[in-house]
Amino acid sequence: MEKNSSKTIEITVISGEDLWVNRRQRVKKNAFVIVQTDSSRATKMDTDGGSYPVWNEKFVMELPMHARFINVEVQCKAFSGGNNLIGTARIPVSDFSGGYLPENYLNFLSYRLRDGNGEKNGIINLSVKVIGQENTSCAASCSRPWTAVPVDNKVSGGIVTGIPVPYGY
Amino acid sequence: MGNCFSDLDGGKQAVGGSGGSHQRAQNAGGGAGHNDAVDLFFRTKGLHGLFTQMELSLSASKLRDLDVLSKMLKLNDQEFLGEASSYLSEIVTKQNQSLTLNLHHRDGRSSKNLGTLTVHAEETVASRNAVEMTFRCSHLENKDLFSRSDPFLRISRAIESGGSVPICKTEVVNNNLSPVWKPVCLTTQQYGSKENPLVIECFDFNSDGNHIFIGKLHKSVAELISLHQNKTGANFISPPSGFRHHEKVLKGQLFVDGLIEKQLYSFLDYISSGFELNFMVAVDFTASNGNPRSPDSLHYINPSGQLNAYQQAIMEVGEVIQFYDSDKRFPAWGFGGKSYEGSVSHCFNLNGSPIGFEVEGVEGIMAAYARALQNVTLAGPTLFGQVIKKAADIAGNSISDNHAKYYVLLIITDGVLTDLQETIDSLVRASDLPLSILIVGVGGADFTQMEILDADNGRRLESSTGRIATRDIVQFVPMREVHGGQISVVQALLEELPGQFLTYVRSRDIVPLNVTQSHAEALTQLRV
Repeated sequence: MEKNSSKTIEITVISGEDLWVNRRQRVKKNAFVIVQTDSSRATKMDTDGGSYPVWNEKFVMELPMHARFINVEVQCKAFSGGNNLIGTARIPVSDFSGGYLPENYLNFLSYRLRDGNGEKNGIINLSVKVIGQENTSCAASCSRPWTAVPVDNKVSGGIVTGIPVPYGY
Repeated sequence: MGNCFSDLDGGKQAVGGSGGSHQRAQNAGGGAGHNDAVDLFFRTKGLHGLFTQMELSLSASKLRDLDVLSKMLKLNDQEFLGEASSYLSEIVTKQNQSLTLNLHHRDGRSSKNLGTLTVHAEETVASRNAVEMTFRCSHLENKDLFSRSDPFLRISRAIESGGSVPICKTEVVNNNLSPVWKPVCLTTQQYGSKENPLVIECFDFNSDGNHIFIGKLHKSVAELISLHQNKTGANFISPPSGFRHHEKVLKGQLFVDGLIEKQLYSFLDYISSGFELNFMVAVDFTASNGNPRSPDSLHYINPSGQLNAYQQAIMEVGEVIQFYDSDKRFPAWGFGGKSYEGSVSHCFNLNGSPIGFEVEGVEGIMAAYARALQNVTLAGPTLFGQVIKKAADIAGNSISDNHAKYYVLLIITDGVLTDLQETIDSLVRASDLPLSILIVGVGGADFTQMEILDADNGRRLESSTGRIATRDIVQFVPMREVHGGQISVVQALLEELPGQFLTYVRSRDIVPLNVTQSHAEALTQLRV
């Protein structure tokens, strides 16, 4: 990772609310989320949450310094085999980074999703944390002991979800 | 069992089972809002949600040695040794929850050798253990005509007399026969012991209140734990009805997808470990209050000493919160007023200083307020956005120092907002910060618009940029005249604060400062 060209972020796609397909029917199942910075990651499909899917998947991604938004897209597997676009949201980087928000602060954020026609279609809930550039532990940048975030049983994919404990070194 | 909300969205909210999920900060606080039917139910039985029992231990030293001449134990016949007084909140906010007071004479005369009294206060909380469960159902019966059922669960505790007492209900999931609900958190106080049988009933929500029964089952917390471990489901049952004299086992099943045992630290656990509530206040200086020199004005300072609505609100809130603020320096602002330079400001320092916005103590706020009335011309319009942004900046800046401060902004206003969307935008941006906003409405204006900000019906605030509020940080109450010794409406507002504070800290797994890292790690081992 080059210094000063990008930030590392931990983004957890938590859940979605009130999602409809084609404005006529509620999403029944198999909704998933694509998160895009300069690369793309996708969550697993939610098989039973219906129009209120829960993913709880965490991604560690690089965010280029010049980036001003993160794109989030909710899609759902269509019966015909392709994918339906449910809605998109743009997360301003300023909502979780910069100003008085320190690094390693866990930001809980929620955004309105809009479908292909620009109409409102539900809400997406996520959390974003900027990981310090110089070192990946938070020992240097936070002054209080962090506790472990409980690992939800549904999270898989081999991504570590704990928050590092400060240690002397 | 429903909330006392008169609208549909309010009625679909979860009640009673919220200890704060780590997934998302919920807008339900500690489960004890004004309109909470479960809370009212418990209060009639003498149990209080956010009021905890305190045990006071008293000890004294260096008392005067007086012979007790009378052998009778009538209080009036005893020799008076000394007295002391203190607020309970002064005691519980101390590090060791003890306070030593000097005894003095009844008439307030202090005297050297009357001795000291030490009061130690401790919460009598049975246990801090709680269980957070994620419920899911499959194959529920369809009870709606043209769509699917809108199911929710109601969990009750069986009591000796044979009936059951509801302890919580989930939110309503619309149109779904295989619903997954948000995690429900039950404390030991709610379910008793893990062997206590619980009744879990599933209903189809109906907007007219006649929810249709789908099925029920009996399981104790211990049995739910084993359902979770074995990843099996339990079938719902329909009790005998009509011509059918036996129970019918239904196809619908209940699964416990997630189960976590956790410690729920109480509000006092955090406060006594060093967490602080920092108080900030903003006063409305718009012209609609009326000329302060006229006795009709809401800002009239009565020479007889009777407090006006603004002074009352400041006193009632400030007097309670001041003990939770260690340095007692409070930021104080005014908005909607014009200084003698001529420009209207929507966030000016109440103390008139160009640089510092803090005042000392509640007396400092009252003095700054009285002085400002003489130096500031009432103007308008009524806008909160800047004051909220200022408070949010202060709260946000404190996060990087340590996580041990929570901010409370009191806004006292007489009127209707000129720019509701600007206020909503500021609130949404502040909704993920350690900040609660109390808005007190004074005077007789129509405050319906304010109730939109206080999103108790579950409708989350949406900013003009498409961001949605993380949690509900606003509480609004119209001020009323207080008669007698009842708890005032403004102080009832303060009851919401511990719940909002706990929601914030629990959603981030922040524990009291004196809880060691190894202890917190041990908790994660309790994952079942």
